[in-house]
Amino acid sequence: MITLLGKAISRSARCLWALEEVGVQYEHKPLDYATGDAKTPEFTAINPGAKIPALIDGDVAMFESLAINLYLAQTYGKGALWPDDAAGQAQCLQWTLFSVTEAEPPGSTRLVQFIFKSKEERSQEVIDAAAERSKAPLNTLETTLQSQSYLAGDSFTVADLNVACSVEYFVRTNFDLSPWPKVKDWIARCMDRPAFQAMTAIKAKEAA
Amino acid sequence: MIKIYGSFVSRATRNLWMLEELGLEYEHVSLDWAKQENRSAAYLKINPAGKVPTLEDGDATLSESLGINLYLVQKYGQGGLWPDDDAGRALCVQWSFWAAAELEPLAYGRIREFLFKKEPDRDQALIANMAERTGPLLDLMTLALDEHAYLSGETFTVADLNAACVMEYLDRSDFDLSGWPKVAAWYTNTYGRPANQKIQDQRAPIAADMMKRLQG
Repeated sequence: MITLLGKAISRSARCLWALEEVGVQYEHKPLDYATGDAKTPEFTAINPGAKIPALIDGDVAMFESLAINLYLAQTYGKGALWPDDAAGQAQCLQWTLFSVTEAEPPGSTRLVQFIFKSKEERSQEVIDAAAERSKAPLNTLETTLQSQSYLAGDSFTVADLNVACSVEYFVRTNFDLSPWPKVKDWIARCMDRPAFQAMTAIKAKEAA
Repeated sequence: MIKIYGSFVSRATRNLWMLEELGLEYEHVSLDWAKQENRSAAYLKINPAGKVPTLEDGDATLSESLGINLYLVQKYGQGGLWPDDDAGRALCVQWSFWAAAELEPLAYGRIREFLFKKEPDRDQALIANMAERTGPLLDLMTLALDEHAYLSGETFTVADLNAACVMEYLDRSDFDLSGWPKVAAWYTNTYGRPANQKIQDQRAPIAADMMKRLQG
């Protein structure tokens, strides 16, 4: 049985989305790092760094949300989330790294400013700098999506899932994506997927 | 023939190291940033953002240095730098993303201060803050190295290569690793591999020139 550790309102949501996409049975343990759940001896035995999200699948024990998603795609999503051809697989690896190095930094800056800080604590200077830094990755995505409907080709793969995990931060913080119409359309399609909706429902239930 | 684009003073060295480890034949196309060779129409066709490195291998074209290494190892390093077992493979992917997501922002932030600023202009508060945040990352590596000789198990894999080529920034900016002896020993052993030595020897004179330009 696959077990995902980490409360849904954390980067675990990304892995819940991937688990719902590949359609495998899994158990979700919503550990909370802040309350020390992740530091229990039971957990640190398999995950000494007490990082969440973490995934356990037989002998496999790992952390890093987007790496978990690549593992799930490569193991359970062959021919779908993980394309069959080397060119498509290369694109999946490239875009997943792009999500970490290019898209997430300005996206998570916005998330921190708009979701985790009060209005008084927000820094317009930081928000503006993040907006500036967002342009290059959004331009890169727009260019790619001008010639194909998804990032690794014409079907939804782990490339889309992993990049959408970062671009979703822009949507959640009401960033104006209208200068990037292809990106705007693409992220809407990604977030419309039943698996994304299933993940959203798990988050809503947890928040209630 | 595999083609790798990017100079010896770019993240292409990470891929050159991997190509040497795998013993592959390849063509190295060194693009000169100062001459804007990365903005030529021909290069923008394969990498619209004009970033380096880019790898071409048959039908596959991709950027992102650590992603290129994962691609190469999955295609050409089976049973060697890419382990045979799922557990080892999962750790290879995990540590590669950990290097990109956790270590690189701090290590690159640090090297920027050292490369692009002269000593009196460096932001010492920023350097100290980044050093403090680097500590827990090295603690996490130590936990893994307490378990086995390398990050993903008992042998050298892409996990080690990808982590070491990011940790290089700490080394080049004289970060004191003595508080993490296992990490220090692992780094020396990993970074000193003959395949990397071959690349670093070619890089050295080019890097020395660049440093002269940057530091005057």
